[in-house]
Amino acid sequence: MDIQELRKLEIKKRVNKGYMWALFTAVLWALWYVPGTIIWAIPPFDAMWYDLALPDYSNATTATMMCAVLITAFNALTVIIALLVWNGVLGKFGEIKRTLKELHPCSKWFFAASMFGGPVAILGAFMAIGFIGPAFGAVSALLYPVAGSILAYFWYGEKISKRAAIGIFVIIIGGVTIFGGGIMAELGTGSVAWLGYVGGLMCALGWGIEGAIAGKGLDIAEPDVGITIRFLGENIIWWLIIIPIVALAGYPIVEYAIAALNPLSILVLSFAGISFGYCYVAWYKSFPLVGVARGQGVANLYAIFVVMFLYLFLAQVPAWTILVGGALCVLGSFVMISEETGEMESLRGE
Amino acid sequence: MAGERPIKFRLLELFSDEKEHWNNEIVTQMQKEYNMNSNFGRDSLNFDILELASGGMLKSVESKVDEDGVYKKGFLLHKYVITDFGKVRASDACLEYV
Repeated sequence: MDIQELRKLEIKKRVNKGYMWALFTAVLWALWYVPGTIIWAIPPFDAMWYDLALPDYSNATTATMMCAVLITAFNALTVIIALLVWNGVLGKFGEIKRTLKELHPCSKWFFAASMFGGPVAILGAFMAIGFIGPAFGAVSALLYPVAGSILAYFWYGEKISKRAAIGIFVIIIGGVTIFGGGIMAELGTGSVAWLGYVGGLMCALGWGIEGAIAGKGLDIAEPDVGITIRFLGENIIWWLIIIPIVALAGYPIVEYAIAALNPLSILVLSFAGISFGYCYVAWYKSFPLVGVARGQGVANLYAIFVVMFLYLFLAQVPAWTILVGGALCVLGSFVMISEETGEMESLRGE
Repeated sequence: MAGERPIKFRLLELFSDEKEHWNNEIVTQMQKEYNMNSNFGRDSLNFDILELASGGMLKSVESKVDEDGVYKKGFLLHKYVITDFGKVRASDACLEYV
């Protein structure tokens, strides 16, 4: 074999590795919706909702929001534990320390990413699950590559090709089906869970923005380390800022946080932490190898897995608008990623 | 003083002389600086170089098969040089760039 062929083979191996990581992301991401749904029915979160909503359910919305906040905070906590184990095994604590010290050039991007990823995207995901349901929550997040590409267009001046534009258009039609279908059905019953739809949009915007911001830091950091710093930031936001504010506002959130330290809830939250933590590791590892757009596109296959897992583990069959809309979003993602067939020696043009 | 900055910062710094460097030479030097002498450390450093190249900050200008096993026998060795984009990112990282 001559050098050119060997080079091509090497590039192919690298790209395949990137796609493999993106596929891991999809499976783990989908698995996360199983503990993410079950946790609402586990003590103390079930009792917490009733305590806050009763006596006449007039506070049901506040109750769901409080549960979503506390669950997201615990999710961040178990994810950082899973990530620290991962970095410990890889011997990367030294690199975490070195990267953290470079706040200005590097880690600030990860902290910024955590603001959009945590209180916007992940909280939005739990709001969508809590107010509407896991299938809606999962599928509405499929819109995030749209947010990511539009931001990249305005921020880095990244060109959107005709093909990518078609992909975005298909995804948006899918999104309209998902959101529109649910809202129409609920308008008929007279009560629309608006906050659930807001949560769905928060997911799409938050994750899209997070991807674009994190990309800036990932250029010059190790992915395993970058993702750990991003979750360090999210834990600071929840446990040092938002939870204390909610507690000061008079809600008994600290009492429920302590009550959540029971074996069953720790078990379910650990599953959430493991699946979500390693999903993020795989996500960040795929970006430098195949690019943010392709990495996100392949990872979007998670929607198919979510529908499968929710059926297998929780016997839930989503509404047809969610199935059709989800299929359109996945199709649109494939239109976006199948764009370049040339050699991908570098993801950026000279 | 060595081994104090994040690995990719140091890699960009080593390339910021704008000269061409073979990946195996850079990896060997980094292994000493960061005390990463295991095979795992070697591969992990090489992967960081690969990610920088994939991100368009380095580009491969020459390749040869490692016939003598100076690095990993039978594998490709690459000679890299920093790109303009790499220089921009390196200066973002506050590297002294002349």
